[in-house]
Amino acid sequence: MGYEGKVPVNNDILTHHPDGQGEVMAHAVDACVHCGFCLPACPTYALLGDEMDSPRGRIVLMKEVLEGALPLYDAAPHLDRCLGCQACVTACPSGVPYGELITSFRGWSEPQRQRSPLDRAKRAAILKILPAPRVFSLAARVGQFAKPLAPLLPNALRSPLDLLPEHVPAMQPSAAFTPARGQRRGRVAFLVGCAQQALTPNFNAATLRVLARNGIEVVIPEGQGCCGAAALHTGARDEALKLVRANLAAFNPDDFDAILSNAAGCGAGLKEYPAILHGLPDEAQARAFAAKVQDISEYLGGLLEDGELEPVLPASRPLTVAYHDACHLAHAQGVRSAPRALLRAIPGVTVLEVPEGDLCCGSAGTYNLEQPELATQLGIRKAKNILSTQPDLIASGNIGCHTQIQSHARRQGSPVPVMHTIEVLDLAYRGEL
Amino acid sequence: MTSGKVAQPEKQALTPAVGTGLPRSKGGSLHPLAATLTRTLGPRKVLSNLSERLNYRYDAIAFGATPLAVVLPESTADVVAAVKAARAAGVPIVGRGAASGLSGGAAPTEPGLVISFTRMTRLEIDAARREARAQPGVITLAVTEAARPHGLIYPPDPASFRTSTIGGNLGENAGGPLCFKYGVTGDYVQGLEFVDAEGDVHTLTRDTYDLAGLLIGSEGTLGLITEATLRLTVPPRFTRTLMAHFAEVGACAEAVSAAIAAGAVPSKLEFMDRACTNAIEDYLHLGLPREAEALLLVDTDGDDLETVEEERALVEAACRNAGGTVRRAESDAEAAQLWQARRSVSPALGRIRPQRMNEDIVVPRSVLPEVVREIRALGDASGLHLVQFGHIGDGNLHPNILFDPRTESLEAVHELAHEVARVAIRHGGVLSGEHGIGSMKLAFMREAVDAETLAALWRVKHALDPQGALNPGKVLPPELA
Ligand SMILES: Cc1cc2nc3c(=O)[nH]c(=O)nc-3n(C[C@H](O)[C@H](O)[C@H](O)COP(=O)(O)OP(=O)(O)OC[C@H]3O[C@@H](n4cnc5c(N)ncnc54)[C@H](O)[C@@H]3O)c2cc1C
Ligand code: SF4
Ligand code: SF4
Repeated sequence: MGYEGKVPVNNDILTHHPDGQGEVMAHAVDACVHCGFCLPACPTYALLGDEMDSPRGRIVLMKEVLEGALPLYDAAPHLDRCLGCQACVTACPSGVPYGELITSFRGWSEPQRQRSPLDRAKRAAILKILPAPRVFSLAARVGQFAKPLAPLLPNALRSPLDLLPEHVPAMQPSAAFTPARGQRRGRVAFLVGCAQQALTPNFNAATLRVLARNGIEVVIPEGQGCCGAAALHTGARDEALKLVRANLAAFNPDDFDAILSNAAGCGAGLKEYPAILHGLPDEAQARAFAAKVQDISEYLGGLLEDGELEPVLPASRPLTVAYHDACHLAHAQGVRSAPRALLRAIPGVTVLEVPEGDLCCGSAGTYNLEQPELATQLGIRKAKNILSTQPDLIASGNIGCHTQIQSHARRQGSPVPVMHTIEVLDLAYRGEL
Repeated sequence: MTSGKVAQPEKQALTPAVGTGLPRSKGGSLHPLAATLTRTLGPRKVLSNLSERLNYRYDAIAFGATPLAVVLPESTADVVAAVKAARAAGVPIVGRGAASGLSGGAAPTEPGLVISFTRMTRLEIDAARREARAQPGVITLAVTEAARPHGLIYPPDPASFRTSTIGGNLGENAGGPLCFKYGVTGDYVQGLEFVDAEGDVHTLTRDTYDLAGLLIGSEGTLGLITEATLRLTVPPRFTRTLMAHFAEVGACAEAVSAAIAAGAVPSKLEFMDRACTNAIEDYLHLGLPREAEALLLVDTDGDDLETVEEERALVEAACRNAGGTVRRAESDAEAAQLWQARRSVSPALGRIRPQRMNEDIVVPRSVLPEVVREIRALGDASGLHLVQFGHIGDGNLHPNILFDPRTESLEAVHELAHEVARVAIRHGGVLSGEHGIGSMKLAFMREAVDAETLAALWRVKHALDPQGALNPGKVLPPELA
């Protein structure tokens, strides 16, 4: 009651930004009723305890900047600290598409940022290297030899080195076509991803084996590339658009039952295509594409639910698996039960729940490189929480989480193996778990 | 005596460790008050940039004036220093918790100092005395989480309890579903420490001149609470949950009256109408009955299973007699989901329209059926989105008018809100059950409270805050000359 006509929640963003991206942002800001339910879910609010570093605060800051009431440089430090983990989306009863808001905002604001030459070079390098697995592999292998130098380097350069595994394997490109084993029951397209081809090639190999085993033939369409998420989330919208369109051209959704990714970050990126292209001529094409996109665990979970998953061999001994929810799987794609159900389908496996399981591990795409201090705090906290369950094995569905958790668990002296959910399943099929 | 010191889970001690090394936003000229505060308290505890201050001007319902400076105190001494500096500068002071308030309490009416308690999160459990000592920034749910290992709980459970702070709960005397049986925040306060308008610190108990009672629910207009001693209780051994749905809102209210008349004392009795149920379904996808006009959620609890189940049977019978369909929660997990659904109602309504006029009426239980029917009829006749939910066991209802100011007339919304308020007053009800008056309901105070009583309240205010520095423009309408 007593509404005094001075509650400016509804925004004026469209007047200032009368385009598709303006619509995406205006809608998100409109949907926020500033109830604060997202505050306890936000990792940066948990660490810093101030409103500017909370989802609600950031929404207000973005609105003020978009309406011209606040200079971008003033709001930037707080917006830059956002991990894009979307824990706030899960917590929000009002349905605020925060992920779309921050992505669009970064795309709009990045070209206007004044960054130092070093900063610019770093970002350009990330965006060049990440989408090119061969270059990445090379860089990673060179970096591996630089690891002993890490203590001498400034934090920003040190953190990526810390994350590199002790041993960087050689690249193993995947076959363009993997036939189904036995009777063919389905046909899917697969996005091979970037970093994981260089760092953890077994993710893809295991994925192809498990799918084939289940009678699913897999096509790796030529011309596909990086999903564009890294470019998009760092605000390089033009680069992202190129990558998005290349993938739209490479994957014809009508040819496949599903388009699969085994990297939560990439899968979430693919599902964002309609928002990225909102208001542009290829929006409809993006919708048809995104409707077919599934995470590998979502797809196999569907087979399991329909009773169609090939039976798995039991583990050789009772095994406890701590399952880590990747933000881009749990929060961005809402995939939580399928990976757990798949792990539980292996006789002998018990799935452990991680305390503070909704809190980001701090990896979050390029966050490790951009905000090393907060990323490290979150990594330490995550590894502690996971290890507190005393698991035999740690499973997750994302390359970023994988390297972050592995590196922090090792630093805390734990030798517990860290695997992709699909690797665990693959071992079980081979009777090697 | 076993006394457990407990780290507060959401904002661990990490807070002080960071901050200094991180880039701060730039911009906005430094107000002299901010400069003084930064000198006395250090830069980490004082926010002065525009981007920072803009974020401390709202709560969950209203936007107010942008503060001149914000202090994030870590101790009572910090609060004292902040109050003294603000007084020396002659600017008003507004206390702020998590800003989940629904009355505009934490949204300043004029530029001044905001003191945000979110970093004062020390919490100690004294299991032997069944007490918790909490600083004001402790999150409500954290008290129960810390007490549970000692076999104790803190019952007040506002739907916002994952977000709201003890200071804000005290400021609004918050209630929640459990309060029907177990009482509201104020019923659990054994003692308070507060900083007055001059910056002096006082310690209060609940003995003669229950000054603590006066501070509870005063929305930061009489003093700033810096610590509370809270009573903890042993949780009941058994809880049973049921859901009933009805084809008409009045029937739901009749079932509630009948169940209570039959002697049932459920621990929670919550109601939501069809629009609420649908908004929740869009969020959580639980399979709630979307077609039902009213949904009732009920908990019965106690230490004797037989009594608990008998009580549930009484409620079930009352629901069936009123034409309702009853479903029992089969597991703790199912019950937990239903209660999460209930807690999400208010923000989920944001899916329907971006803005709302939110009421907090309390009416005698005997007239509930007429009241919900009359309000429903008003809503239907208005052509606006009017929804109802609330702690129906207490007669505490939250009719909400949802609207989009770009397409719907503010006058019409305002008029409907007035009519709804009049329904409550006509049936012997009051306008604020648990959210407080703040600035949002000021306009109604004169209708609801007689002039003499208002004058007495003003005398209390003058006695404790002679300069009117504490949260001006809240709770009391301007004095008549
Ligand atoms: C979705 C939703 C559901 C809600 N459900 C309920 C419910 O079920 N029951 C209920 O009662 N309320 C409910 N509320 C309202 C709100 O959560 C409560 O009023 C809560 O007590 C506010 O706590 P806060 O920490 O957010 O306080 P704030 O909103 O920050 O402040 C509230 C008031 O207290 C004052 N204050 C804050 N800290 C202090 C202090 N240390 N000393 C003195 N004064 C202080 C402020 O000045 C202000 O006037 C709900 C709100 C939302 C958004
Ligand atoms: S939970 Fe959703 S509606 Fe509420 S403040 Fe956060 S983003 Fe806004
Ligand atoms: S995306 Fe993550 S870090 Fe960013 S505001 Fe939401 S919860 Fe916080």
